[in-house]
Order: sequence, then C-alpha cells, then structure tokens
Amino acid sequence: MLTFVIRRLLVTIPMLLVISFLVYLGLELTPGDAVSHMIDPETASRMSDEQFEAMREALGLNKTFIERYLFWLGNVVQGDFGHSLSGGVAISTIVLDRLPATLELSVFALVFSTLFGCILGTISALRRGSLADSSLTVFGMIGVSIPEFFFGLVSILIFALHFDWLPVGGRLLPSYDSYIDHLPNIILPGLVLSMMMTAGVMRYSRSAMLDSLSREFIRTARSKGLPEWRINLIHGFRVALTPVVVLIGFRLPTLIGGSVIIEEVFQWPGIGSEFIEAVRGADYPLVMLIALLSVLAVLMASLIVDVLTALIDPRVRLS
Amino acid sequence: MNKILGFAAASAMAMMATTVFAERENQLSDERVRAAIAYAIDMDTIVETLFEGKAIVADSMIPNGPYKAEGLERYAYDPDKARALLADAGWDDSQVLDVVYYYGDQLTADLMVALQAQLADVGVQMTYRKLEGDVGGQLNALPEDGSDTSAVTWDIAYGAKAALALQEYYNGYQSGKNSYTPGDSARDELIAAINGTVDVGAQQEAFKAFTEFENSALSDIALYYQQLFIYESNRLDRNGGQYGNDQFVYDWGITDWTVEPDENGKSVMYTNTAPSTFFDHPWLNPGIYIFSKVGLDRLMTADGALAPTEGQLAESVDVADDGMSVTFDLKDGITWHDGTPLTVDDVVWSIETAKTVPGINAVFSSTFDAISDMSVDGDKITINFGTLDPNMLLTFSQFAPLPKHLLEGVNPAEFQQHPFWQNPVGSGPFRIEEVQMNDFVRFVPFEKYHGGVAKIEEIVAFPSGENDGNVIQNAEAGRLDYGFTKSVGDVQALEAMDHMNVIPADIPYTRSLRINKFAKIAE
Repeated sequence: MLTFVIRRLLVTIPMLLVISFLVYLGLELTPGDAVSHMIDPETASRMSDEQFEAMREALGLNKTFIERYLFWLGNVVQGDFGHSLSGGVAISTIVLDRLPATLELSVFALVFSTLFGCILGTISALRRGSLADSSLTVFGMIGVSIPEFFFGLVSILIFALHFDWLPVGGRLLPSYDSYIDHLPNIILPGLVLSMMMTAGVMRYSRSAMLDSLSREFIRTARSKGLPEWRINLIHGFRVALTPVVVLIGFRLPTLIGGSVIIEEVFQWPGIGSEFIEAVRGADYPLVMLIALLSVLAVLMASLIVDVLTALIDPRVRLS
Repeated sequence: MNKILGFAAASAMAMMATTVFAERENQLSDERVRAAIAYAIDMDTIVETLFEGKAIVADSMIPNGPYKAEGLERYAYDPDKARALLADAGWDDSQVLDVVYYYGDQLTADLMVALQAQLADVGVQMTYRKLEGDVGGQLNALPEDGSDTSAVTWDIAYGAKAALALQEYYNGYQSGKNSYTPGDSARDELIAAINGTVDVGAQQEAFKAFTEFENSALSDIALYYQQLFIYESNRLDRNGGQYGNDQFVYDWGITDWTVEPDENGKSVMYTNTAPSTFFDHPWLNPGIYIFSKVGLDRLMTADGALAPTEGQLAESVDVADDGMSVTFDLKDGITWHDGTPLTVDDVVWSIETAKTVPGINAVFSSTFDAISDMSVDGDKITINFGTLDPNMLLTFSQFAPLPKHLLEGVNPAEFQQHPFWQNPVGSGPFRIEEVQMNDFVRFVPFEKYHGGVAKIEEIVAFPSGENDGNVIQNAEAGRLDYGFTKSVGDVQALEAMDHMNVIPADIPYTRSLRINKFAKIAE
C-alpha cells in the first residue's frame, strides 16, 4: 500500500503542473485583466494609455503569458505565492485568513451530513416501505431538489428574523470574546449546507444498505443465528459503507470551494466568496492558489477514497 | 514584369476600394434619428413601473436647478413623431443597433427589454449585451488621430455619470476626448466657457447655453436622474445634522450624532461599507466608504449640496480675488490618529502624490493639474494656480490629505496595494480600533479630534461595497443603523420596516444612452 501511495503522490506533481498551466491559460483567455477590472469605466475614460501601462508594469502584467506563468511557477516552487493584484495583500495571508472560515463551515457540514446521512439511510433501508422510509425518502428528494440559496434565505427568514433565535449572518462580531460566542453563527449556514449533503448521503446509503442486505452473506449470517443488529450493522452496514465512503470522499474537495453560495447568503467570510471576487477581478495569483488547492483536494480525496475502500472492503487490492 | 505590376496595382486599388466601402454611413449621426429615439422612449412609464417612481425623468445630463436652461425639449413619449422623424431621415429599418451596458443588475436587464420593445414599435431594431472584460477600453477607445471612424463597436451604450462638479458632465465631450461624439469647435467653446470662470452667475449662464446646445445635439440621450436614498434606524438621531449627498462628504455633524444604548448601555452604530480585503483609498471615491467618511478630514468642509463652506483641518481659507490662489491656515495642534502631528508637509505631499496616482477623482485631477506651485509658511500653505479652476474649493472640501510619514515612497501605480490600506491611519472624528478583515471594522471616537469628541461610543461596520447585497436582512435584524443605497428594490423593502427611515436625496447622477455618431466599419 505504501508503494501505491507514494506512486500516486508522485503522479500528483505532473498533474498539478499541467492543471496549473491550463488554469493560467484559461485566465489569460478571459477578456480584460486585473487593471481593467480595477478601474471603473468612467475613470478609465479619463486615464491615459501611459497610466494604464504604468499600472500594468507595476503589477507585472506587461510581460508575455509564458513569462508570467514561469515567473509565477518559479515563485510558487520557492513557496512565494505572490500578492493580490487588487489590494497588494500576500496571497498566503488571504488564504490563511479565509480558509479556516470555510473549513469550519464545510467540516461541520461534512461531519453532520455523514453521520446523519448514514444513520437515516440505514433506518430507511431497515424500515423499507414503512412511513419512516417514505418520510425520509420525501425529505431526501426535498433536500436534493431545493436550491441552497432558497433554503438559506427561508431559514434566515424563519430562525433569524421571525423567531430571532440565531444571528442573521456573519461569522465574528465585536462582542464575541471566545470561540463559544461565535457558535450560534455557524448553526444556520452549517445546517443549511448539511441539509443538501445529508439528503445525498442518506439516499446513497439507503440504496447501498438495501443492496447489501439482499446479499447471500447476510442470509448466511442469519442462518448462523447471529442477532439481527449484528447482521445489519456489522455485516450489512460495513459492506454498504464502501460506496458511501466513495461519495463522501469525493465531497472532500468541496471543503475548499463548495460553500460559495452559502457564504454569500450568510455573509460568511470564507474562501469561496473570495475566489469568486478574484475570478471577477482577474486577480490571477489568488485564483491560481485557490484553484491549485482545490485540485490538490480532489487528487488527495481520490487517493484517500482508494485507501479507505481497500481498508473497508477486503476484496479490494491496491496495485 | 508588367503582369506583376498590373496585379499589384489592381490589388492596391481593390484594397482602397475595400477601405472606402468598409466604412458605412452612421445614421445615428443624424440629429433627427437621435431625436426619434428620444421620442420613442416612454421614460415616464418606465420610471413609474420599472423604477416604482424612485427616479426622475431627465431632460438633460445635468440635474434640475439654476444651472439648467428653462424650457428644454423634454422629448416626451411621442411614437408618431418618432416615426415621422425616422421617415424624414430615411432610416434604414433593416439595421439592428448594438446596445451595450455594463451593469449586472436585473433592473438594467429589464430596462433593456423595455427599450427594445419601445424602439421596435417605431421601427428601430436593437440587440443588447453586457460588456465583459476590459469594459473601459470597449466603451472609451478613441478614434485614431485625424480619423472619424469609430474605435468602438457599439451603436448605443447605456451608462451613468455621477458627477462631483457639474463640469464633469460635459468636459468629456471635448474634441478628441470622446469615443462617441465627434469633435465640434462650437461645443469646445461652450465647454471652455463652463470652465473659464469662478463667478457663479457667469457659470450658470454658460451651463444654460450648453444645456440648450445639447438639448438638440443629443450627444447623450438623458434618461433619468437617479436618486440616492439614505436610510437610518429609529435608534439613530442626527441631532440636527444635515442630510445631503452621501456619496461624498459634507458637514453632517457626526460628532453630535447619538444612538440609543444597547442592553449593555453602550451606544453602538452599525453600518456597512467596511472593506473585505483592503480599505479603498479616498482619492477616487472620497465618500463612499465608511473610513473615508468618518476617518478622514479635509482641509475644508461643504454643505449637503457639496457647496464648500468653511475650514475643517484649516482654521481659515483665503481665496485670492482673481481665484488664482488659495491659502489654508492649518489649525494648531492637529494630529493623525497615531499621534503624529498633521502638518502642511502632509498636505503638500498628498497633493503632489495624488497628481501621480492613476485614476484619481476627475475633479481632483483637474484642480491639481491647474496648480502652478505651492508654498508653505509655518502652518500656512498657499496654492497658486497657473490656470483658473472653477472647482478648486470643491476639490479641497473632498480631497483628504494622507499621512506622509506612513506612505512616503509609495509607487503611485501601486498606491492601492500599499500595506497602509490594511489598517489606515486617518485624521477624522473616528479612528480604527479593530480590523477583522471581511468580518467587521470597529471605530471609536478620536480623543484628540479638533472638532470635539464624538458622542457615539463605537461604530461597527460590516463589509460590503456600495451595493450591499445584505442590506435588507441586516436592517431587519437591527444590524444596520445608517447607510445609503441607489437600489430601488432595497428602498421599497426598507420603507416597509417600521424601525427604518428612508430619506431621498437628489444627487448629480444621470443615466443616459450614449449615441455613437462616428462612422462605423461595416461588418
């Protein structure tokens, strides 16, 4: 397994290089550059070509595409991710400021949705055809059908504005003295984000569990006289877990950029909203780093899923 | 050889012919066509329906008031007249006008649909598209020197002019400076007249002449004057402080404002326009963002209509009779928020630096370009002008000097990228106490403020741009005591809240259709 992991990690390097070039090329092909996004049209009408050129030179935008890419790559290899073109802040500072907020929200949602999705999916499968199963199926359909932003706005309306139980949005307020103070702020965005993910995990684990329970080894376990809870949870659930782990594993990359809409609706200062702003403003050093982090997350998630699948299911061999 | 020469000659002639025929006559250069378009648009209905009455139909670029000529043609909706004018002009109704805009809001998209339908009704076809990427370049590219062929591809551009000084509406029409209006010596003379005097009466006459000229020339078809809406919660009391154009700065008496104390007995005012990644410098938009409003003082102040009134950082302001110099005598003992004395050196450095920073406010730029020299004597700074600038006092009522000791040596092309803008030091009644970038900024009264210590104990500002997407939910939740907006949708929702007050303010902000009158390259 160690050889497999090392080989996969080594393959990651050329993949990152190719993807970084493609993302950089994509940015190059989008119309306008950081300067044209920084200056509003009215102000631009009064500026001379020389002034635009001076700004482009100061930001290093007057070099050729390849020169800029190689310069960026050279710096990244040395651990220098550059500075935001719009505000001059170090990219590492921006990412380190924003990433914890996003991870906080995403990890909350991932843990919540994994636990509840698996539990509800298993209950639904074990009570197949019952009222509970039907209710959970309807809940699952609602969960995957309703757009996040709508669900978020409705929850704000009910729980923040009508009942005044939870804050309307934001992450930190001046009155907060400790981390505990800020927990109420994460409940609404975290739950809304979780709802969508829970529904998916639940539907997936239900069908996986039903499939698992119809296998011959379950019948064998019953014939051996094992208690029903052991048959379901130890034998059935373990096998059913494999496809669920794949699903959850491939959700790991969403830890970085998957909560953009929720961040917007709940004024959550995460990396997702920053990424959107960076793309809009052609702030390529920032876009590149966030994109690379996302790509890295996808590659790592794929590796983790492979390893976990092998650990859970003895039939799977890594080679 | 002859064959080759003949072929070359034929090719050259063909290329010339192509060049000649590539240019097509632009029927939009015909005043009758522009007038027809103006008559075809039912702005009264559009304002009443799309804008819910929250705008004023425009009849010129400059807003209503003493600078506008009376009796201007309003181009009230008259489709029959529009059709007659188009027929008279021989309008080719097979052509499809390319209309562009650069706003991303739904209201603009709805307006485009309305314009398309109304123009189609009189036989003018149009398509519309939002400009992306280098919007400034696509809107403002000038024809090559000596050419009268358009360098922009659009026929009509929907846009806005938000002016600090009325001259801003028309200075852009100067020959060789406009992407859609060919040069005209008569217009240039009128522009020189509105810039050539500081005498209010003479200025008003010059503006009236210009508005009459443009009323028939229709370089832009003015559509509507956008209003600004100031909103405040019932907790906030200005205690007699005036209201005005909150897109800029004026003497609103914020040191006397009070807010009802919260459950902890603390008077905290909640607002927006805090930064998400950096504080915007105040030399482009001097009054949009909260730090520029409460954290920085100017040499002098202005009233709500932005008419300069009296000194702010300056004890006195003396303007020479001929308007060619102004002397500011700084108040004694004034300091920056970090305790460093604020001196004439800061003022001189700020003006000299601003002259080199790309894309500063147009009025500032005009004033600073007109300066011939500056001299200092103790706390006094005298600024002499090489050419008359009618808006110099307006500039000094909006231009905020910045601390030389913290910004000296900055590369002007990277002015906004300087680390100073992560936690700036100012001179105004409130200083920054805490910055949680993209979460909130906390301001507290500046204890040594020359105008007295502010009564509000704390201002908490949440991040947003001018168009705060979270205005409604924050206001509803009691997290917004002051702000301003131009969004009609937000205004309606705010008006529906019992605890919010909305105060409309007429500001110089005109939305118009820019008509490209240059010859176009045929596609």
